[in-house]
Amino acid sequence: MIRKLQKLLVPVLSVLLLSGCWSKKELNDLALVSAIGLDKNEKGKYVGSFQIVNPGNVVGGENTGGGSKSPPVTVYTAEGNNLVGVSRNASAHVSRILYYAHTNIVVIGEEIAREEGIMKLLDALDRDPNFRITTTIVIAHDATAEQLINTLTPIDKIPANKILKMLRSTEKSSGEHLEIKTSDVLEALVTKGKEPVVTGIRATGGKIGMEMENIQRTEPSSAIEANGIAIFKAGKLIDWAHGRSARGIVWVLNRIKEADVSVDWNNEKDSIVFEVIRQNTKVTPIIKNGDPEINIHVEVEGDIGEMQTAADLNNPETIKKIEEKINKQIKNEVEKGIAKAQENKSDIFGFGDSFHNNYPNEWKKYENEWNDTYFPELKVNVTVQSFIRRTGLRTKPFLSNTK
Amino acid sequence: MPIKIHRKRNKKLSKKERIQKEVSTFNIPDEMLSDSLKENVEQMKKVTGNSSDLKIRELKGNDFVNLTAVYIDGLVNNQFINEFIIETIFNNIEPYPDLEENKEDLFERIYAEVVASGEVQKFSNWKSVLQELMGGSTVLLVDGISTALVVDTRGGETRSVEEPGSQVSIRGPRDGFTESIQTNISLIRRRIQNPNLWVETMKIGKVTQTSVAMMYLNGIANEEIVNEVRKRLKSIDIDSILESGYIEQLIEDQTMTTFPTLFHTERPDSTAGNILEGRIAIIVDGTPFVLIAPAIFIQFFQAVEDYYARFDIATSIRFLRVLTFTISLVAPALYIAVTTFHQEMVPTRLIIAISAQRDAVPFPAFVEALLMEITFEILREAGIRLPRAVGSTVSIVGALVIGQAAVQAGIVSPAMVIIVSITAIASFSTPSYAIAISARLIRFLFMLSAATFGVYGIALVFIFMLVHLCSLRSFGVPYMAPIAPLSPSNLGDTIVRFPIWAFTQRPRLIGNKNNKREGPHQKPGPPQSRSLKTTADDQGDTS
Repeated sequence: MIRKLQKLLVPVLSVLLLSGCWSKKELNDLALVSAIGLDKNEKGKYVGSFQIVNPGNVVGGENTGGGSKSPPVTVYTAEGNNLVGVSRNASAHVSRILYYAHTNIVVIGEEIAREEGIMKLLDALDRDPNFRITTTIVIAHDATAEQLINTLTPIDKIPANKILKMLRSTEKSSGEHLEIKTSDVLEALVTKGKEPVVTGIRATGGKIGMEMENIQRTEPSSAIEANGIAIFKAGKLIDWAHGRSARGIVWVLNRIKEADVSVDWNNEKDSIVFEVIRQNTKVTPIIKNGDPEINIHVEVEGDIGEMQTAADLNNPETIKKIEEKINKQIKNEVEKGIAKAQENKSDIFGFGDSFHNNYPNEWKKYENEWNDTYFPELKVNVTVQSFIRRTGLRTKPFLSNTK
Repeated sequence: MPIKIHRKRNKKLSKKERIQKEVSTFNIPDEMLSDSLKENVEQMKKVTGNSSDLKIRELKGNDFVNLTAVYIDGLVNNQFINEFIIETIFNNIEPYPDLEENKEDLFERIYAEVVASGEVQKFSNWKSVLQELMGGSTVLLVDGISTALVVDTRGGETRSVEEPGSQVSIRGPRDGFTESIQTNISLIRRRIQNPNLWVETMKIGKVTQTSVAMMYLNGIANEEIVNEVRKRLKSIDIDSILESGYIEQLIEDQTMTTFPTLFHTERPDSTAGNILEGRIAIIVDGTPFVLIAPAIFIQFFQAVEDYYARFDIATSIRFLRVLTFTISLVAPALYIAVTTFHQEMVPTRLIIAISAQRDAVPFPAFVEALLMEITFEILREAGIRLPRAVGSTVSIVGALVIGQAAVQAGIVSPAMVIIVSITAIASFSTPSYAIAISARLIRFLFMLSAATFGVYGIALVFIFMLVHLCSLRSFGVPYMAPIAPLSPSNLGDTIVRFPIWAFTQRPRLIGNKNNKREGPHQKPGPPQSRSLKTTADDQGDTS
């Protein structure tokens, strides 16, 4: 028994001792990169901005004394001929190993997105084992990525978290922006008959955002906000969609969770507000007389959120009329979104892909000229069916009682 | 070289012989009693070294016969000796005609009529006489007779039946075993009033001559296991047995393991329950801890209260216990693995919080964890060993040193303190101390492998542990039964506890003779007909 154990002890001990804590990295040797910004400078080199968390300044414990004087994140910038080079060059500035597993945001500068496209940038992100392809990707609208990465934000101390949460909440409540993951972009880029969309963000104010003062004010002089949806074609940014047309795009992509739809009533503009609580959009490709067509059917359900005019909601006829108006309004938005895409000749909805799936033989004919010839001319039939589930806590508005 | 080996072997043999000799010197020479009273008394004094607690009472009544009672002070019931031996002899023996010829007759009369005790035996060899004397019996010697009367007068000071200290329950009987084997056997017998509850007593320990009893239900306990237990107990050759732990270590199946393969308990209800399942209780004189064989792994997670509480509650508490056992095994290891290898596994906010705490700590996570675990183990050990009056000092020092000062000094991180505390509390919530203590050891192995390989290492050690557990046996019964090997009909009392009315079978691998436990249709319910209720109400009204 003892001899058997002695024999066993040799391999066990050598495994334990010789391996020597394989790929061990202590937590205090890691620089947690919360966001990466990618730009190109005038020399044609890539510029990477790395937003690194200062853990001690984020966690407001008893010992740190609450409002710390130093910023919660530090930004290091480095340049290089490729992304790995940028990352390696950044190590000259940072005392710790850059750790990308907790990177929540990738910001791509508008300039680089327009001129060079995002194709080349994504390989390094996709290939790196630490980096998650579920990381949210955004485009810096009217700014360099570096500017956005540098902006300090109140409430959510880490700017990357603030951007992420902001995108999630705005996608959920207004439906004009989208949280797009790196993997979504990759998928759209490699699918024929589909182009990516990416939400834009911008920083109000100027360079002031990088000072601590920015978050010590009740109204930050520089704030980050979601702004528009970037439309890509062949990996390059070509246009921005804002407001109603942006929401139209989100409707077609079937990603509306909640939204507000205003309709006119009694000749008063936007006087009734319909709050969407759930919806489902179906996109059906058909081929009619040899030409491709798309049927879009939106089923939407919601409540009345506000009435600035008098209407009798006890009357089913009135409800029906309101519903019809809502249908029209939503149809209008959807058509706007589609028009925006058609005018840019970029099939961001993946209509082509649905033709590919449903009509593989016909698709071969369209395949090569889809974006430039067929998609812009595509006939899209939109039908909307809305349903008012509840009218809120009141049926009759105050306004019907006033003399 | 060969010569050396040879010599070594020779030496070994001689050592073995020496031990044999040492043990045998304690044996009392097996001689017969003499017929002279004086000689017998002298022999007794000589053998006991004239110990001061050897009491010799000479009874010389009306100059008719020489009688001597010998007993050990403190082991006997003094009142009993006075009333039922000495007094009755004085009262009942008149001068006897032709004493010299009728000595035998007189001796028989004393044996049959005079001594008023339930147990009187005749012995004529010294070995038995002295053994009984040392066990608390009174020896009556009659002049001219070479046989001694041995009267059972065991008594003296023993601890009364109290609530067990190590296995407390909220609901359930309050009595616990004591140090007296008679009391312990009776406590079990009172619960199982059945002639099939068999007890076998034997003396183990060459010097101590400790009584060890095997208790089992004939017809339910597996005879093979009973024979095996008996065989192993009989083959014990040791000078002393001071606690059931001695027996446990001498009869267990596998010594190279941290897991206990015999269960021990202080509770008679738990023992009775185990005997009813076909297990064998080994009761050792001088300790309240009764051994139960064979033991299976899941048994160490079963508290008696599980059976007294309703099954839904019992089941959820079982789940909790298995969870806490796992926590006490892997919590520090998981923390080490996650903070040194798998930082991506933790939510961003949490890793930032941990990172902020760890910033000031000068040690790697493994050293930090080891430091804290060892400190905790020291505190725990000190807390047990210290006299109760000083005990609170340990908790104060411990709380201040671990909880506050170490964190403020930046030697350990607050997160580590939380992990160590959770581990400690989890390890205390395991009902069996024996298994909690083995988890305590294995935890360090987990920590070491986590520091080397991360979660991969934890998985490795976990697999090793499972394989080892599956390889264990307790008196031939697989340790992981009824999970591995799977015995579906017995799964009702493992991590889940089925309702009592669903316990139709006894554990199959333990008592294989008679598995049926309860009759059909044991599930209770409301009365079948409504009329039953109304008639009862009607009767109530009329009265």
